[in-house]
Amino acid sequence: MNRRRVVITGIGAVTPLGLDVKEFWAGLSTGKSGIGYISYFDTGNYQVKVDAEVNGFNPARYMDLKIVDRTPKAVHFAIAAAKEAVELARLDMTQEPAERVGVITSTMIENDYIIKGFENLQKRGPRRGDPLFITKVSPAVVSSQIGMLLGAKGPNSSVNSLCASGADAMGTALNHIRLGYADVMITGGADASLEATAIAGLNMLGALSRETDPAKASRPFDLNRNGFVYGEGAGIVILESYEHAQKRGAPILAELAGVGWSFDAYDATAPQPETQAVAISVALQDAGIKPEEVDYINAHGTSTRLNDACETKAIKAIFNKNAYRIPISSNKSMFGHIIAAAGAVEAVASVLTINNGIIPPTINYETPDPECDLDYVPNVARQAEVNVCLSNSFGLGGNNCCLVIKRFSER
Amino acid sequence: MSIDETLKDIVVRIVHCDEEVLTPTSTWQDIKADSLDMVQVLVAVEDTFDIEVPDEDLGELKNLGEFVKYIETRLAEKGTAKGTA
Repeated sequence: MNRRRVVITGIGAVTPLGLDVKEFWAGLSTGKSGIGYISYFDTGNYQVKVDAEVNGFNPARYMDLKIVDRTPKAVHFAIAAAKEAVELARLDMTQEPAERVGVITSTMIENDYIIKGFENLQKRGPRRGDPLFITKVSPAVVSSQIGMLLGAKGPNSSVNSLCASGADAMGTALNHIRLGYADVMITGGADASLEATAIAGLNMLGALSRETDPAKASRPFDLNRNGFVYGEGAGIVILESYEHAQKRGAPILAELAGVGWSFDAYDATAPQPETQAVAISVALQDAGIKPEEVDYINAHGTSTRLNDACETKAIKAIFNKNAYRIPISSNKSMFGHIIAAAGAVEAVASVLTINNGIIPPTINYETPDPECDLDYVPNVARQAEVNVCLSNSFGLGGNNCCLVIKRFSER
Repeated sequence: MSIDETLKDIVVRIVHCDEEVLTPTSTWQDIKADSLDMVQVLVAVEDTFDIEVPDEDLGELKNLGEFVKYIETRLAEKGTAKGTA
């Protein structure tokens, strides 16, 4: 099938490593930890003490106070990242047919607004409901606010597949351009669902690290890993058809060459290597890439016992002997797991990896696990020419989505 | 604080417009207030003055001056026309 090629022309990130792409990369490429103690609620009787928060973020720097009042925190992160990406892409909306520019993102609902809304309703009655309630709990609000801000009138929606959401949004946006529904898509994810209810619930599932030393809490692929660290932030990417980017002289940072999806249909929390391998395989086929051409894997690498062993198995199933020579690293060792934004933030990291020729390390890797016996780029960043990167996202509950990001070249 | 001043406070807090631009003839359009701003102002007015403003009444109020008069009338009907003491 002769499809339109889709390139990445802009990236933006607000993460626990910093408030823009420059700070993000400075942290990633030097193995810095963005993990600290939970500040949002008193963790006195909670087993989980650490998280990965965005520090020093002032939404008023990026948007009108009215938007700040009306929207959840994920929107604030997303708008900041979207503005950065649009600027980098030199995307001038006054020069674009508005209906050819779309937005597809992912997010998680912030539970605190639901709790407050319910309390308000009980206290004040239905005639005094909160008019902002719906805009604050709607999963569509991240995409709609970006669309409003930019005047983008093309396809606008939100996708959710838990921890695979960010990659899922990007893959869906990719296909919108391939199929001709839009020429430009602003895509990615934003998540600020780091709240007591989420921490307590995930802790019950044994999914979160109960480590008390923040810098050591996220240790993907290490024998002594004991759960993931909940993070927050946003990653936004500008996708456009190659012809469109070329025509307007946009900077081309990389090519989003393929996406692959699968679903475990197996267990509510335990992952399945066989179906993860399907998502990898489908993504490679979609990109027209042979397994031996992949020269870096940006792992899902959550730091849970199950994920990291399972992901290792899935990688071996597809890459066979080659699995041992491909560098694999987990960005989550540095900024935790940004749930609905993870895949998008890690796609931004993958673009930076390709462009800088530096593979970010997996930090806190101290003791090898016999079940995880591949090259995880332990502790120190590595210089390497990366032309083809596979970025894995495997959601709790069985949603898998993998992206193939390539160095751009004229064919 | 007078009804006029209280209403101005509410509008400035919600719409984030400059207080200086607010006059009795200011319309919602003048201060760039959208549908969500109007509903929020309505809820705040109901809370502050302890009156009920039916949605259809809000649609009839063309500017700030009319809104102030409306609130005065409703408070008088309640027999407590003294603003927010």
